[in-house]
Amino acid sequence: MTTAPTTGTGVGGATGSVRTRGLVHIYRSEGHEVAALSGVDLDVPAGGMVGLLGPSGAGKSTLLNLLAGVFRPSAGKVFVGDLELSTAADRALDRMRAEHVSLMLQGAQRNLLPYLTPHDNVRFAQGAARRAGKDLPDPDEVLAEVGLADHAHDALGSLTPGHLQLAALAVAMAPRPAVLLADEPTSQLDHPARDRVLAALTDANRDLGTTVVLVTHDPDVAAFLPRTITIRDGRVGGEGRSGEEYAVVTPDGFLPLPLHVREHLQPGTLVRFHPVEEGPGEYLLLAGDEAAGATREPAGGRVGGWVGGRPSHSAGRPADGAVEHPSDHPPDYSARHRAGGADRG
Amino acid sequence: MRFRYRPFQAVVVAILAALITACAAFAPLYDRAMQQSLVDLTLEQTPAVTDGLQLTGVYGSSGSFGSISVPPPTPESALAKVPAAIRPYFDAPVLGYAAMVTRVPGGPEDPQGELVARSRVCGHVTMVSGRCPDGVGEIAVSEADVDNFGLVTGTTLRIAGVGSGRGHVRVPTHRLTVTGVYRQERGAYWLGQVLTGRSGVVSLVPPNIVQHDVWLTDRSTFEGGTGTLPQESSYVGMGIDPDAVGVDELLELGTAVRRLSEETRLTEQGATITVSSGLPGIADEVRDQSAQSRVTVPLLMAQLGLLAVVVLWLVLLAVTEQRRPEVALARLRGRGRRGARTLLVGELLPVALAGVVPGVLLALGGSWIARTVVLPGDAPFEVGLPLLLAVVVAVVLLTLVTVVAVVRVSREPVATLLRRVPPRRAGWGLGVADALVIAGCGSIVVVFATGGLDGPVALAAPGLLAIVVGLVLAHLTTPTAALAGSRLLRRGRVRAGVSVLDAARSPATRRVVAIVTLATALAVFSADALLVGDRNRAAASEQEAGAPMVAAVRGTDLAAVRAALGAADPDGRLATPVVRVVPPSSSARTTLAVVPDEFARIALFPGGAPSRAVWRRLAAPDTPPVRLSGTRLTADLEDSSLGSVGVGGDRRPVEVGIDVVTASGELLHVRLGDLMRPVAHARFSAELGCGDGCFVTGLTFGSLPGASIDGTVTFAPLQTDTGRYPLGPAGRWADVQDADTGVVRATGSGPDLTVEVHGTGADQVTLPQTWVPTRLAALVAGDLPPGSTDDRFTMTGIDGQEQTAARAATLPRVPASLPDTSVVNLDLALRGREVAATDQLEVWFATGDRDLLDRVTSALHDRGMEVGSVTRLADVRRTYDESTAAWSLQLAALVGGAALLIALLVLAVSAASSWRFRTRDLAALRMAGVPGRSITAMSVAAQLPAVLVGVVAGTAAGVYGAHLALPIVPLFADAPSVSTLDLDVAWGPVLLAAAAALVVLGVGGALIGRVMARRAGLPRLREGGP
Repeated sequence: MTTAPTTGTGVGGATGSVRTRGLVHIYRSEGHEVAALSGVDLDVPAGGMVGLLGPSGAGKSTLLNLLAGVFRPSAGKVFVGDLELSTAADRALDRMRAEHVSLMLQGAQRNLLPYLTPHDNVRFAQGAARRAGKDLPDPDEVLAEVGLADHAHDALGSLTPGHLQLAALAVAMAPRPAVLLADEPTSQLDHPARDRVLAALTDANRDLGTTVVLVTHDPDVAAFLPRTITIRDGRVGGEGRSGEEYAVVTPDGFLPLPLHVREHLQPGTLVRFHPVEEGPGEYLLLAGDEAAGATREPAGGRVGGWVGGRPSHSAGRPADGAVEHPSDHPPDYSARHRAGGADRG
Repeated sequence: MRFRYRPFQAVVVAILAALITACAAFAPLYDRAMQQSLVDLTLEQTPAVTDGLQLTGVYGSSGSFGSISVPPPTPESALAKVPAAIRPYFDAPVLGYAAMVTRVPGGPEDPQGELVARSRVCGHVTMVSGRCPDGVGEIAVSEADVDNFGLVTGTTLRIAGVGSGRGHVRVPTHRLTVTGVYRQERGAYWLGQVLTGRSGVVSLVPPNIVQHDVWLTDRSTFEGGTGTLPQESSYVGMGIDPDAVGVDELLELGTAVRRLSEETRLTEQGATITVSSGLPGIADEVRDQSAQSRVTVPLLMAQLGLLAVVVLWLVLLAVTEQRRPEVALARLRGRGRRGARTLLVGELLPVALAGVVPGVLLALGGSWIARTVVLPGDAPFEVGLPLLLAVVVAVVLLTLVTVVAVVRVSREPVATLLRRVPPRRAGWGLGVADALVIAGCGSIVVVFATGGLDGPVALAAPGLLAIVVGLVLAHLTTPTAALAGSRLLRRGRVRAGVSVLDAARSPATRRVVAIVTLATALAVFSADALLVGDRNRAAASEQEAGAPMVAAVRGTDLAAVRAALGAADPDGRLATPVVRVVPPSSSARTTLAVVPDEFARIALFPGGAPSRAVWRRLAAPDTPPVRLSGTRLTADLEDSSLGSVGVGGDRRPVEVGIDVVTASGELLHVRLGDLMRPVAHARFSAELGCGDGCFVTGLTFGSLPGASIDGTVTFAPLQTDTGRYPLGPAGRWADVQDADTGVVRATGSGPDLTVEVHGTGADQVTLPQTWVPTRLAALVAGDLPPGSTDDRFTMTGIDGQEQTAARAATLPRVPASLPDTSVVNLDLALRGREVAATDQLEVWFATGDRDLLDRVTSALHDRGMEVGSVTRLADVRRTYDESTAAWSLQLAALVGGAALLIALLVLAVSAASSWRFRTRDLAALRMAGVPGRSITAMSVAAQLPAVLVGVVAGTAAGVYGAHLALPIVPLFADAPSVSTLDLDVAWGPVLLAAAAALVVLGVGGALIGRVMARRAGLPRLREGGP
């Protein structure tokens, strides 16, 4: 996840890449400060399609809102194209939302003015961009693209949940944004409706070059996406490529263990990385029993995951579920893995 | 489209906007209608002579021998002085002349009187015989003149004219011919002039000539060559046209007539034109009353408007709160704050402004009802500039409130807008806006309470006070209720606990507390203002009238009056005599002589009557009188050592006498005889006018002024032709010890009375009988006159002479009397004195019953007495009630009722805006197995604490607000001469208003609670969304 940002050109000439660096977001709840995100680096190239996965409360929606400029980060930077959102003026953010970035909120109805038809909602969503001089298709055309042409002038109350979600998608796509941020766009939909929505998102990504970042809980949706990023405990907890999951080393050198590995490597377990001679960038991870002072092969077999291309050596106390590179401890037990740069496609 | 989506909200916002507009628009309409009614009423009740305009033209310069020899300016030239602009407000002018004529040769039988010519006069008299005069020298006379002077139709007579002043010595005469006999028809045409009633009456002023009634003639008599007549004047009379005169015209007339009278006093060529009209005074009165209405009407309407604005504000807050997702969407779609604002303003402002037209119609309807039902007179329908300004103010206000409410939401960060539940301050925290409002309103109230505020802002002080109390309470209610609810739950009182917690959770609770406080305060304030005004007008009327009915009686025969009352009202329960002793100067105290027990029963004492104990202090002493009867008196004096020495040392005789008072109150002095020197026995006889009985009031001993009198004498029982009357024992007499007159002392315990006299120079010393009071007990209102010692003072006795009195008690005021008045016992006041000619006899009645008055009038008439003016309490009350001050306060009833309805609306709106999550909570309880009945009870109970708290706090705020504001409310058109002002809280109406608020809002809240409980079905739990 630390590849250099690739910029691309989205609709209307706006840049559609999304990039975060050391993103931290802290909010107050009942008098306590809670870190929703604690150092997230994310790169989504223009025209990319990425799913954000993770358990509830992991910080997915927070990340999406930061990308949309809804929240200002507590620390770190967020780039959408060349615009750095943490310091951008309100007017610049308004302009960005008008023309370049659409946020689809969770729950179709939250994206629609309740007293307008889908057609009028689309027109409403295009208003600011049109006033800015952006050339936009007719609302009927936008609705046709998502397959809702027949219901363009129906009252929202008469639409099915699937149609409502398509209407919400049409509204989000109405200003032809370079980036579409969608929060759970398929939740509470039956399978055919979900598939229609996914198809429409894919079409937008493919046909219009729109960068799509969506949050989902649905494994089927995750499996459908070319790239997924798992957010766990406010960090990037892993990344999936075509259904295979990798651990990702954080900028400060932590390596969040995948859940299934965590079950085996109890807190306090000593691990060590050994470079493997066969290939550069490949490491052997050795885990030892801290209490016995002996190394052993963890039950359940091999422990491992992809480790990013620039291994960090910074010191510090490991967080739960992460191991520090224990360079001064000799490995007592080994599990061999291939370590190397993941394909960033 | 948007309005149809949320029709209820749109209707509520429009209704509130309509109410605000109506409040703003109604104030000028009602104010104007009151002024018009006042003008109608004033013109209707004012005599034509007062509200008409009369010009009299005479030449000020005199001819030779002091006579006016030149004719006055013509009526037309006098009329020309009246500005054309004000002529349309009058009926067609009556032009004419008048002169004072005397029949020649001017003997005792030749009458003098007015000769009058008036245009169109024949249309305003009935010719009893003959015809109306229409030629030179023709006159019509009254029937009385025919009877008194034999001026039948066809009679010719000569009257004296005026010499030309150029050397004529002989006064010319002119011939008049009687062409008919008239009878005056009363009407506005005459502007109060009465033509008859003087025929045969000798004028009171010298040279005491017998008068004739007005002789009517044609104008040509004055202009047709008869020459100038004595005291000839030209005349213009213009009766006002009430239909043409409204308030503006009246004020214009007042100014114009005042200017006219100043300009025309002296005109060219020595002519004087005098303007006579009461219009400037009437205009001033109307202007004063209009100024009063400009205090009360805004005081009430502004507060109702304030309530409506606050409610609209809260409703708009709820409405905009509900639109947060839409605002968030607008922001997310890049429209920015301005776009979000436009979105909401575009939806809400048209709805708010849609209420303007219905509001204006409501105000017009209200003013129509006021004009036709509430206000007297016939106020016209008027839509003037003030209405337009009021509507503009309402529109600006509505726009401002809407925009501010919208800006408040649209300024919020998108992140906050996106939250499903808007962030709320927990605990005791106070928002900046609320803190500012509380601080601002609180400062105004404090400044007002400390007397540092006047003017329009002061009028809103009660409302602002209620806002402060409401807001503070609203902020305290939520945490307090949360605390109380938790405590109740811990104690196991689930139902009560859940109800209170429900109330604490609901964001509507604060709103309800604030508005119920404000509305109740307004209702309570209005009820208090209405009733305090009513009470004060009633008290002022009672003070002014004195009793339900008071009749003045002409004459001073008190005995006849008492006899008449004895016949018409034997037990004295319905009528009582009162003698008002008119003081010799305006600064002196008035004395009111009354029959205490009857007066106490019949007279009205606003603010509380004196107790029985106080009245008992006026009771006559127990000492029996010395009664005599007979026509001749014989007195035997024993062992007299009395002697008098004059200033020069010479011996003088001592004159012995007795004072008696007859049964009719007439005071008589009986001179017995002179004692020249000490004697062992002396017998005196004298005439005695006591056939009907007398009371001895004193024994007198007289000499020359400056001479001393010394010695003792013993009186044997007096003898008359009817019997013997002992004067002893000494206890029946009051010793006198006075530095100016000396000492007179009585001794002896038997029937004989020994008197010791040491006179020091007064011409007469008197030994008073104790039955005659030496110091009259008086109930005193006001300050004692200067020179009074302790409670003793000198007042005017019933005989108009000074009388020593003692203050027995103090009264705050005496009914129907000036501030400095003493009340004495009539029977005591009469002992030794008689009613003076200047005294005013009155009969005070316990009821305004006409039959009773007729009976008393008839009984008086039988005894040669007549009733003069009659004052009825109801009439006095009407004069107080028919004023803008009273009409303005009538608005209070409307305002109080409207305030409660607005509060009810707020309950409904609050329920509507929070019903989703509240019904969901209740549905959750239902799912947890709580019985339906308990849920209903909880839902109902959750509504009530806020209402209860609001009503209690509102009542307190209203009462204090009234305490602050009532002193600036004009209660009377003119302050009464004797103040009965009582601004104490009218607790009955206040508690009634509070109870009404509790019932209306409590029942409303309970119904809302039941509806909520009914809608709290389990499907609610499945509902999602915001």
